[in-house]
Amino acid sequence: MRTHHTRQASQSETLCTELFVALETAVLERVDQTDTFSLQGTLPAWWPSIFGTTTPPSTVRPGERSPFLKQFFTEAEQSWAGHAAGLMRSGPWTERDRHGTTLHLEATALVVDSRQLLLVARLGADFEQARTTLQQAREQALRHAQATKLQTRTESRLTSQLSQSEELRDDLLGVLQGLGLATILTDSQGRITFISDEAAGLLNLSTDRTGQRWDQVLSCSKTDRDAIWTRLRNPAEQHDPLTLHLETDNPRWLDVTVSPHPRHNEKRILLFHDTTEIHDLRRLLDEKARFHDLVGSSPSMMQVYQLVRDIARVDATVLIEGETGTGKELIARAIHCSSARKQGPFIAANCAGFTDSLLGSQLFGHKRGAFTGAVGDQAGLFESADGGTVFLDEIGDIPLNVQTSLLRVLQEKEITRLGEAKPRKVNVRVLAATHHNLSEDVARGTFRTDLLYRIRVARIQLPPLRDRRDDIPLLASAFLGHVRATMGKGVDQISPDALRLLLSYAWPGNVRELKNAIEFAAIGCKGQRITATDLPPEVTRSQSHTPLSTWMLPTTNHDERAQLLRALNQASGNRSEAAKLLGMSRATLYRRLANYGIDIPR
Amino acid sequence: MMHKKICMLGGFAVGKTSLVRRFVTNLFSEQYHTTIGVTVEKKVLSVAGEDVTLMLWDLYGDDEFQRIRESYLRGSSGYILVVDGTRKETLATALGLQQTVEGLLGPIPFALIVNKSDVRDVWEIDDAALSELRQQGWTIFFGSAKTGEGVESLFSTLADRLLKQAT
Repeated sequence: MRTHHTRQASQSETLCTELFVALETAVLERVDQTDTFSLQGTLPAWWPSIFGTTTPPSTVRPGERSPFLKQFFTEAEQSWAGHAAGLMRSGPWTERDRHGTTLHLEATALVVDSRQLLLVARLGADFEQARTTLQQAREQALRHAQATKLQTRTESRLTSQLSQSEELRDDLLGVLQGLGLATILTDSQGRITFISDEAAGLLNLSTDRTGQRWDQVLSCSKTDRDAIWTRLRNPAEQHDPLTLHLETDNPRWLDVTVSPHPRHNEKRILLFHDTTEIHDLRRLLDEKARFHDLVGSSPSMMQVYQLVRDIARVDATVLIEGETGTGKELIARAIHCSSARKQGPFIAANCAGFTDSLLGSQLFGHKRGAFTGAVGDQAGLFESADGGTVFLDEIGDIPLNVQTSLLRVLQEKEITRLGEAKPRKVNVRVLAATHHNLSEDVARGTFRTDLLYRIRVARIQLPPLRDRRDDIPLLASAFLGHVRATMGKGVDQISPDALRLLLSYAWPGNVRELKNAIEFAAIGCKGQRITATDLPPEVTRSQSHTPLSTWMLPTTNHDERAQLLRALNQASGNRSEAAKLLGMSRATLYRRLANYGIDIPR
Repeated sequence: MMHKKICMLGGFAVGKTSLVRRFVTNLFSEQYHTTIGVTVEKKVLSVAGEDVTLMLWDLYGDDEFQRIRESYLRGSSGYILVVDGTRKETLATALGLQQTVEGLLGPIPFALIVNKSDVRDVWEIDDAALSELRQQGWTIFFGSAKTGEGVESLFSTLADRLLKQAT
């Protein structure tokens, strides 16, 4: 039995020794409570490389080799002396062996059966695993800290940028509001993303309309809306502003410019300008500048308008004087339309170019058989105009015998048809016009004095266009509007160069010539704007060939003769061209040439 | 020969091991290896004509995973607080450790080094915080284990102070 126990103890000791070797742990027993230890059992393989090749049961002083162990002995004293319960571990430390290889070790102090022991273990796979885990945890912590830092820095930078942007936006907004610009920003769907105070005020918006579509906010016609949509789809800086009429309680005229957003293709900037005042002023100006079908706001025309108003109030005969093309018939119509006879007929007759009998028949009518070709009774213009107005153009060209009949009409208010003996009462107002100087005609004996006094009860002198050049742009614009309406062409502008030519030309044919020139230009114009090259050649030539002063024509017959000669000269004897230059028909030109005894060989 | 124990203290990954390695072997590795436990390195310095062996106790970094074991600090003649200039929080860790050491060992010589001066453009630690410490009498170095800047003077200055204190 004893032998069995002895064998068992021996086997246990062997097991323990093998166990410690397997655990790479050295077992040392403290000698005499000093830092000297005796080696126990079998030493692990790593021991000699650090602590020398001592073999059990020799004694060693490991503290001399390892300062860490030496310090641990001080701490371990508590355990060996029994002051501390259980084991005392040193914690891991690292030693480098004689080959420079690092070994991770841990010492444990303990007391077994009053024997003070020191175990020194080499830390193996578990330690490496723990170290790897710790390393990963710390690297993770570093990465996290780095990411957090980066995020914080980015956040800080973005916050700063946002703050700067907001500050800049506020500044710009302040400037925008300060400039009083009425602005709307829209997104790709036409929804409002910004609206300035000025725009809100202009569009009568009392609440914030951000988020709504612009066409729900703008009260305007479908045509205006469609035009804006077109611009929104195809915005361009160079487009002229659109004009729209705001249909609200406080109607306004607005000019709208649509521009693309500088950074976002799909966004649009709408800039509104209140042009109501300009429209009102223009309307007033138009009203002031137009009188019936007459156009002009020059002082001389304003005087004419006033004279027409005054004359229209009375029923007197009126002589309208002025160069050809100055608008004498328009004045006659204006007098008629402003007079009490405006409900009655207005009949105009050109007295030039008729034979005595034909003119008499035209004016006074005839009885059947009164002359060859008088196949039936015919009322004259005076009868036809009963209750209204007769306008006799070119009265200076009336033959003397017709002048006598006309005098009777004016004196007795009655006419006698050709071939009849019985006069007929007529209630007609006579307005006459001539480009002649009738006083000179009277002196030459071609016009009756008494008739002159009868028809010149009231007198209107129409200024030639060259004396009211300020009206040229207005007239040109009005004619262009007319041409646009009749021709259906999209010509709506006159270039500055063309306008300069129009202003510098002498316009011997006056307003009529200007009208013809505009029509001519509009026909040839290829775009929206009439340019200098579109104008008739005589107008474009005038600047280089004809000094303006040469066309400053007085109104005497002598000067008219000179004017005819000058036109013929400029047209190189071509009478059609000369007539065009003078703004008159070829027939009128021939008649006048004959009057002045000017003979041009064909 | 005189032996002086100097503890390297600081947060994790501030460069304690790198500074010791640069000082002892003049080597540097970009790779980070976390220290578990303690590594003791020795270097003999000649200070004022006298050789002194510096026992450099490179302690693991102090963080929530490993707290400094006070027993490791015992017997220190001085200590070095290491701070990573690019991580502001490591200065707070160093301040805390300084309080611990002073509470345990009393006012022994120490120096603080703000490491990683090679990447000073990304430093988070500003001069204001450090000048306050200087006013309290702290010895502060700027250095880099990577370039070696300030390393030699850090250890020699502290060794010099240790010797002066010893005499």
